[in-house]
Amino acid sequence: MAYDASRNPSQDVRERIYLPELLRGLAVTTRHFLRNLFGQRDSNASVLNRKGRSLVTTVQYPEERVAYPPGYRGLHRLVPREDGKPRCVACYMCATVCPAQCIYIEAGEYDPADPSPESRVIEKFPTTFVIDELRCIVCGLCVEACPKDAIRMDTATHAPSEYTRQGFVYDIPKLLNGPPVSHSSDPWRRRESSEPPEHQVLEPHTRIGET
Amino acid sequence: MGRPLIIVAAMLFILGAIASLMGMAYFGAAVLPSAGRLVQIVILMLVFVMVIASLLTIAERKWSAMMQDRIGPNRARIDLPILRDSALGGVPHLAADAVKMLFKEDFVPRRANGFLFNLAPILAFGPVFALFAIIPVGPSIRVLDREVPMVIATPDFGVLFLFAIASLAVYGTSLAGWSSNNKLALLGGVRASSQMISYEVALGLALVGMMIAFSTVQLPELTDGQARHLWQFSQRFDLGLPAWGIVLQPVGFVLFFTAAFAETKRTPFDLPEGDSEIIGYFVEYSGMKFGMFMISEFVEVVVLAAVSTTIFFGGYHLPFGEGWLARRGLIADHPWILGVILSTVFWIKVIVLCWLQLAVRWTFPRFRYDQVQALGWKMLLPLGLANVFISGALVLWDPSLRALAVVGLIEIGIVAALTVRGEGHPAKIDSAAGPPPSLPALTGASTSGHD
Repeated sequence: MAYDASRNPSQDVRERIYLPELLRGLAVTTRHFLRNLFGQRDSNASVLNRKGRSLVTTVQYPEERVAYPPGYRGLHRLVPREDGKPRCVACYMCATVCPAQCIYIEAGEYDPADPSPESRVIEKFPTTFVIDELRCIVCGLCVEACPKDAIRMDTATHAPSEYTRQGFVYDIPKLLNGPPVSHSSDPWRRRESSEPPEHQVLEPHTRIGET
Repeated sequence: MGRPLIIVAAMLFILGAIASLMGMAYFGAAVLPSAGRLVQIVILMLVFVMVIASLLTIAERKWSAMMQDRIGPNRARIDLPILRDSALGGVPHLAADAVKMLFKEDFVPRRANGFLFNLAPILAFGPVFALFAIIPVGPSIRVLDREVPMVIATPDFGVLFLFAIASLAVYGTSLAGWSSNNKLALLGGVRASSQMISYEVALGLALVGMMIAFSTVQLPELTDGQARHLWQFSQRFDLGLPAWGIVLQPVGFVLFFTAAFAETKRTPFDLPEGDSEIIGYFVEYSGMKFGMFMISEFVEVVVLAAVSTTIFFGGYHLPFGEGWLARRGLIADHPWILGVILSTVFWIKVIVLCWLQLAVRWTFPRFRYDQVQALGWKMLLPLGLANVFISGALVLWDPSLRALAVVGLIEIGIVAALTVRGEGHPAKIDSAAGPPPSLPALTGASTSGHD
């Protein structure tokens, strides 16, 4: 029913009488009405993949959500190690590169006498790691700067709303979540011998929810 | 559960509600003979017209959403255990809207004429509401050994009441525009009054053909005149072509519908108010006074649908099978069942025509103001006059109305043929000049016209 621009409306008898064209317009409206009245609305959040007779393309937001595209820079997370501690070694690279200066780190030092194995290979760890999510401009430079793959923005969410400004200042307990990540090059997994490792190396780019 | 099933169930529920209310109307009027008219006023006008009109406020939002591939209002919920999870088709928004209207500030502009400012919504609402008084909703039948007519008033002047009262509605709008002490509102009121006055002529002429055909101005007689069949195909099942106004007077119907649309000031003709952009005659109104204007618009829609049904769609009569239905054993013994069925049919037709008006509103673009006046005076008025003369001649020539019906069917056929005919119709275009006739063909045609 596309309109044909090559027709001259002033010479078309239907356009001159006007009533037939009005009836055709009504037919279009009626068809849409009936399809949307009787057709079950598919609530698939990706609208283009919707099936069924209904032509409605609305996404009912709080109940249905369009998934963020891959590569979306979501809320930060501190990536945990297998043992649950953050991978972060408090090198200050992210805090230095951050153009909004929203990352604040205080480093602690491993006691060389500590019996834990990583104390031999890692010098520092963060005692405080704070990101002010209100200041953050979500540029993703911290993720790129991190030499240890310790900070990621792969949570596919945005910062949830809070009642106070202080609520947007995320500390280690709030930031440390998601699946743990291990690389074979991690110093705390450096092997003394050439035997195969006892634990399985996870795929390095694991996203939340994929395991 | 399937959505079609839910919709069919809702429709059946509405039908049941209409039928039981009409049964109450018949029996109430029969049981209380002294207050029979009061019962009918309450049930027909206060219950039916007001409920349909107020449901149309939500229906307009919901139906327009469906026509435009949206969902429409569905956020208002009733906080009860079972109902909490269902939008109920958006109907709770009705209550929300009403509460909002009632609790908004009742603003009166400074230096506005307070009396007229308060009077205008009443004047806009009252006449429209009163129009329904002459509409026959159901047949006049014997219930409990008493003849019960299902119409509030049957004045001798019939349709003339319609014209007289409908023209009163213009006072409401022009007073609203004038008393607001606002130039833009005044201009809106002037636009409204000039538009309504221009279309009243066409409105009157459109119905003259039907008055000639049935030689009456009484709506009950017009309705019963349409019950008979022009050509009967089956005596037993009472099948045939009914003498409905749409068959006899298709031009009259189009003229009447258009003119009445202009009277209701709805979208193809909504220059006086213009929901979204033009500032209309009720800019200064807020709260329930604005609500009065709005609800009077919807009451007008219902009344227009009822008048069109009565005059052009056979009123409460079924198109066929009514005689067969009336001879069934149960219905022959209890004629009130037939009355309830027929009056339910009437309300179904009214609701369908209300839907048609809303569909028209959401389909057609608004006319320019000069187009409105040109349509009224240069198109509708001559067409109405011609229709009156042709109909009169045909009725004189063949009083059985069959000639009128043949002409009417030919008119319907021409419009249907023009409407259904496919896109491939380039005969009249100057497209032979170029192989792919896009815009050049159009410009070429117009320039050659200037030569």
